[in-house]
Amino acid sequence: MHPTQQTTIERIERAAEDVVALTLRGAAGPLAPWEPGAHIDLNLPNWLIRQYSLCGDPADRDAYRVAVRLDPLSRGGSEYIHRFLRQGRTLTVSQPRNNFPLAPAPEYLFLAGGIGITPLLPMLRAATAAGRPASLVYAGATAETMPFADELRSEYGDRVRIVATKQQGRPDLAALAAALGPDALVYCCGPASMLAEAEATFPADRLHAERFQPVAKEYGPATPFEAVCARSGRTVPVPADETLLDALNHAGYPVPSGCREGVCGSCELTVLDGDPDHRDDIGAPTDRIFPCVSRSHSDRLTLNL
Amino acid sequence: MTFAGTRPRRVSPAEVRARLGEPSDRASAKIRDHIDEYFHHFIAHSPFLTMATADSAGHVDCSPRGDYPGFAKVLDERTLAIPDRPGNKLADSFRNIAENDGIGLLFLIPGLRESLRVNGRAYVTDEPDVLARMRTEAKQPELAIVVEVEEAYFHCGRALVRSRLWDPASQALADEMPSVGEIAVGQFGLDVDPALIDDDFEDVYRKLY
Repeated sequence: MHPTQQTTIERIERAAEDVVALTLRGAAGPLAPWEPGAHIDLNLPNWLIRQYSLCGDPADRDAYRVAVRLDPLSRGGSEYIHRFLRQGRTLTVSQPRNNFPLAPAPEYLFLAGGIGITPLLPMLRAATAAGRPASLVYAGATAETMPFADELRSEYGDRVRIVATKQQGRPDLAALAAALGPDALVYCCGPASMLAEAEATFPADRLHAERFQPVAKEYGPATPFEAVCARSGRTVPVPADETLLDALNHAGYPVPSGCREGVCGSCELTVLDGDPDHRDDIGAPTDRIFPCVSRSHSDRLTLNL
Repeated sequence: MTFAGTRPRRVSPAEVRARLGEPSDRASAKIRDHIDEYFHHFIAHSPFLTMATADSAGHVDCSPRGDYPGFAKVLDERTLAIPDRPGNKLADSFRNIAENDGIGLLFLIPGLRESLRVNGRAYVTDEPDVLARMRTEAKQPELAIVVEVEEAYFHCGRALVRSRLWDPASQALADEMPSVGEIAVGQFGLDVDPALIDDDFEDVYRKLY
């Protein structure tokens, strides 16, 4: 369902304090195409699968670029990439997936917090190339921690505002909202605090946000239900203490998975009938479900499997 | 094998030393008092370790711990943390550590003949920043064991070479063992079909976190 691609790690370079940029060259010719906002899974040698936004040029079919911040609370993904990944080794990556596509609009405001700059880089480039007015507000603790700040300044001049929050404080989102054109769209990627502020400031129908960590959520107790696999005509019971993904996998359906916490979207399935209990952080469309976290309100959930 | 009322002969420590000879300088010099970058590299690639602890009376336990490579976290060069994943809830290690904080770890990497030994002092923690680093599949452990490192060193691979531990052909040995269900039926004199117990274990092995 999701064929992987082989790449060679051509370059690992420091992009800022605690940030490295990886250039991944297709090992067998051109890589799968992608649109701004897309991400790929990196299948790391330590069995972990981690998602990173593509931050290079979509026109470059020979290589992908991602940038990775070292998380001080790393579970083994960013720590591995920073400390142990080596140039020249091969790395299996997924097809690009896009949970954060750039919709057409007459004007754009991009809001980046720290490493959240990565999906917005190709967006800003695409919007500018299309001749749309587009500006970027890029916040980070200090200039040293902000990757690509210099390139952005030199390429886009005063359309880019770099805000080092330790000295300048956080950007005034309310002022940005007040100055926003009537049909402008806002794309925001950053830490939870920035996303929360953006969600409180901009109208929901004009804000597109991507988060890289699941939000802490409270749900009622998980209840058992049945997954009806319409194409194969089988019914798979999903006990209360098992995820839909695990139940399907154990029943012999090879549904792929990545983060297993509702962020990456690699386990997406199509819902044909029933009332899904969405628990992901992607925002599943009505006819889709991410079975790694989501369950069912109805006793039966019919899937296109 | 029986020894007709006698035990196998006991050899004194002095005699053991006399028979083995003195350790080489190289063997003694390899012991470090911290986790250097090579030890860190090893731990980051190790999915399995054995953990030895003892109670105050010197009764010793050794238990297996395993997860994705790097599941034991290097917090700094003197400190490791090992998650407590759901297990048999006997908590032998925890009970031992409460009485006696000595701990010995042996890390293995599949395919690699050398192993890593780490010895030190242990205590139990529920520090959120430590547990957060161990979250897997949206679940994080309740507790972790912190190891304050006193000794770390690579152990040479002769035991693993002799044991053919990583030779795929060695896995045929598993076929010669009765199943866990057959063992349970035999050991406890149960009157059930061993296959039912085997199925139960398969279910248990499906829920790892």
